[in-house]
Amino acid sequence: MSLMKCCFDPPEVPDVIESMVQKCTDPGCCCGCCSALRPRYKRLVDNIFPINPQDGLVKSNMEKLTFYSLSSPEKLDRIGEYLFQKAARDISRKRYGFVIIAMEAMDQLLVACHAQTLNLFVESFLKMVQKLLESTEPQLQILATQSFVRFANIEEDTPSYHRRYDFFVSKFSAMCHSNEYGEARDKIRLAGIRGLQAVVRKTVSDDLVENIWEPVHMDKIVPSLLFNMQDSAFYLKESYNMEIAPEDQIDPPLLAETCMRELVGRASFGHIRVVLRPVLRHFDLHQLWVPNQFAIHIFRIIMFSIQAQYSYTVVESLMAHLDENSKSSPTIRTSIADVLSKIIAIAAGESVGPSVLEIINSLLSHLRDSVRHGLSQTDEKQYQEALINALGEFANHLPDYQKIEIMMFIMSKIPFPLVDNNTPADNLLQSILLKSLLKVGTKYQTIHFNNTFPVSFLEPLLRMSLAPDPDMRLLVQKILHTLIDRHHNLEQLIKPTINAGGLALTLETSSRPDLIFINKHGAMLYDALYTSLQINTNTIENIEAIYTTLALLCVELASTETVIDLLQLVLGIQNLALTSADLTNTQKNNLHAIVACLFVLISTIANMNTLTDYANKVIKARRKEAPHLLPDLLTQYPAKSESANKLPHLLIDQMAVCEYLKSSGFDATRLMQTSPYGAGRLGAYAGTHRHSWVEVGARGSIVEIPGTTEVDSVSSSPGVQKKLPEEELTFESMKRVLTEPPEIRKEAEAERREKLCHTFRTATFEELVHRTQPKHDLLQNKLNEIFKSLSSTETHQSPSQMDKKPSIPVYEQNFPELFLY
Amino acid sequence: MCTMEDFKFLFKVVLVGNAGVGKTCLVRRFTQGLFPPGQGATIGVDFMIKTVEVDNDKVKLQIWDTAGQERFRSITQSYYRSAHALILVYDISCQPTFDCLPDWLREIEEYASSKVLRILVGNKIDREDREIPTFVGEDFAARHNMYFLETSAKEAENVEKLFMKIAEDLMQVQAKNKDLPRYESSTTNISGRTSSVSDSSCCSKLT
Repeated sequence: MSLMKCCFDPPEVPDVIESMVQKCTDPGCCCGCCSALRPRYKRLVDNIFPINPQDGLVKSNMEKLTFYSLSSPEKLDRIGEYLFQKAARDISRKRYGFVIIAMEAMDQLLVACHAQTLNLFVESFLKMVQKLLESTEPQLQILATQSFVRFANIEEDTPSYHRRYDFFVSKFSAMCHSNEYGEARDKIRLAGIRGLQAVVRKTVSDDLVENIWEPVHMDKIVPSLLFNMQDSAFYLKESYNMEIAPEDQIDPPLLAETCMRELVGRASFGHIRVVLRPVLRHFDLHQLWVPNQFAIHIFRIIMFSIQAQYSYTVVESLMAHLDENSKSSPTIRTSIADVLSKIIAIAAGESVGPSVLEIINSLLSHLRDSVRHGLSQTDEKQYQEALINALGEFANHLPDYQKIEIMMFIMSKIPFPLVDNNTPADNLLQSILLKSLLKVGTKYQTIHFNNTFPVSFLEPLLRMSLAPDPDMRLLVQKILHTLIDRHHNLEQLIKPTINAGGLALTLETSSRPDLIFINKHGAMLYDALYTSLQINTNTIENIEAIYTTLALLCVELASTETVIDLLQLVLGIQNLALTSADLTNTQKNNLHAIVACLFVLISTIANMNTLTDYANKVIKARRKEAPHLLPDLLTQYPAKSESANKLPHLLIDQMAVCEYLKSSGFDATRLMQTSPYGAGRLGAYAGTHRHSWVEVGARGSIVEIPGTTEVDSVSSSPGVQKKLPEEELTFESMKRVLTEPPEIRKEAEAERREKLCHTFRTATFEELVHRTQPKHDLLQNKLNEIFKSLSSTETHQSPSQMDKKPSIPVYEQNFPELFLY
Repeated sequence: MCTMEDFKFLFKVVLVGNAGVGKTCLVRRFTQGLFPPGQGATIGVDFMIKTVEVDNDKVKLQIWDTAGQERFRSITQSYYRSAHALILVYDISCQPTFDCLPDWLREIEEYASSKVLRILVGNKIDREDREIPTFVGEDFAARHNMYFLETSAKEAENVEKLFMKIAEDLMQVQAKNKDLPRYESSTTNISGRTSSVSDSSCCSKLT
């Protein structure tokens, strides 16, 4: 053969022989001894192989072959075929040196030749790669992968519809799991990952070739990548420097991560789930949820590499996975929820509109399920914590207007009514939802109160503040704190203090909208706070929290009107402490203490020196004679401490306050009038059904109705004191009774309408239909009747009458078009 | 002038079954003719190839050996779908591996093609401490419409026969359905560009 070679090798081979070779069509004649008659391309191919495989590719001859295939591209496919056959034979004879050379030649031809002629050659090329991959020799597999990667980087302009990559995906995935001994293992794994990366690159950009996003492929690719990533300790060190790995030292986990990022980054909307499903399954099967560092690591990667507009899908999938895992152990669910909380923030920026509420809703329903199924297990509690955290994280990254929406949404999910006999599960759910509300609330920055507290939010919240459970009431107060506090004064007002001047409070004159707000809703707010002070299950924390709320209100809304209102309330509280038959002495003392504190605070903030002096005088006296009427609030007062009732000179005197107000130029007439916070009311409440939310709620919504009944009951109630404001039945107060009702009634009506709106907004469609369908006309008539009678009746509406209201569809009058179902 | 690449059929065979029943040993016995003592657990999927001759036709068997461990289930399942034959292996000296067979069948139902050839294999018959009598295995196979064979990878018993039987059966199926579309395109075209399994012209193309 070598003899023949030296005869015919020179490029100036006689044309005669060339033409002879061309004519030779019978393959049989090409075989055998006469290699001179072999086609030229075969001779060229043969010549690139050295005698000794260690010598490597014969460079000069390779150049000739390249030149030949460039000049006659129609031969390229035959050259490929022939090279492949040679390599296949060499593989089976285990002459790997020649195989490597053949592969190298293939690579060079592939790179050198132009695209349009490449198609058939690629066939042989890929056949060769596959052949090498099928061998058990790691070296050949790695070599084949390298060639494949090189091939993947070439842009073909002719699509090859029939080309399939299943084998490559399957084989590369298998290589990713290689368990060879020693260094070979990592090399093969690296090759596997590179191969997968190449397949993805090759197929992803071209719709005409195989769809790499098929589950068949993704179910192989994704677990293979994850399997390699989980091996590394990389993710355990968060602060690991990403930049330090140079190209040659790359390890499988790192490469797998890069590949994962690329894959996720290329996924379009329809493909994301296909990628995520195997991820979730992998975590399940490999038990990677607990501990969840790896899961967090992976999901962060996904979130950061995914096209931003789809990031919401990841959250959704994770949430759906939580659904599927509802039967698994709480620790797993906790971990999943934790992962959720870690990534949800990244998604929050991108999600808009209904998707936000969907996420919130789904989180809330998980909370509810958790409460239903597992009570009081510590694991379950952690799970709930994790969910609440996720909720908070999510809310944190939403714009403010959506936070209010979310708060209202959560509010609407809290089960009502708050009666005493509800199940522990309901109670738990309430407190958990309140906790989530608090979490969202803390992320919210109040600017205007009327934005923060739409009536449909404020009203149920205040109703919650009268819940039977002290802890729940405390939560509501905390929510109020975080929402009211705009100037970060909360820290300083958290504990009652008599040293108001010593506090470094941030003050700002309140804006007009705020004043409008407090004018409109102040009464409702104060009343709820006052009423919650009446509850005899209050702990010190409760009372302190209410103090803080009032103090914050005072700081945030300092104006002449509010000062009067607040003073009125303070005096009311003092009254309560004096007259209540229901509160313990300790609680009464606590009340006196906060009264003193609030009094000082109000006078300081209103900048009325005379009043401040008076307040300080009272406090001084108390300090001398009755320190138990000052902070700190205690659970146990010394037995000898006297009841405040017996120390009238230590109380805040209403007349005196009025005087001082007048002297500072305030219009104190309102303060002189009958206080809405009457002792008579107290007497009535102290008795039978003080925890009934219905009445309390109704009372809150109709604001205050100063009426004769109160005065009556005052005069008949036993513990009436000399200094009670009720005694001042002046002309002013009578006039007020006469003048005020219409607007109060109006207000009450507006309130009720709001409430109805709310019910209609939140109730399900069926419910509405059910409610409104029967006796349409009849109802309408009745309605008109009722409204007529309403407008003529006096302000004395019994609570029971009020209760019925919401069930009557007043709505029909207001929004008839709503009923076009 | 045909080369080594000359084969008429290419079949994908996937081995499944509990961890430690001897799947890898069966494959290595068949493809390499050796019994590796102390074979470690397979990770993910392993791959071997062997060309056999049936009726003077060369048949290439692509054998995918899957990990038995539960944690690799997600990746192993993805290999079922394109399989022409599934070998379900249990250990005759280990009752639990037999008890899991219904679970495996369920998985196969779910993930594999409905026309896949299924073979039940009781491995390790060289062991003295047999727990599953032959007839129990036969019975199970008959009930679920599978072929049944007992093998020993260690003693090389029935191993060759097992794979030859698979090759023959698959060839018959292919011959019978010559004109019919057999598997979904994605399952037939397993070999890449080697084109569909029954494409007998692939040989002539090589000349």
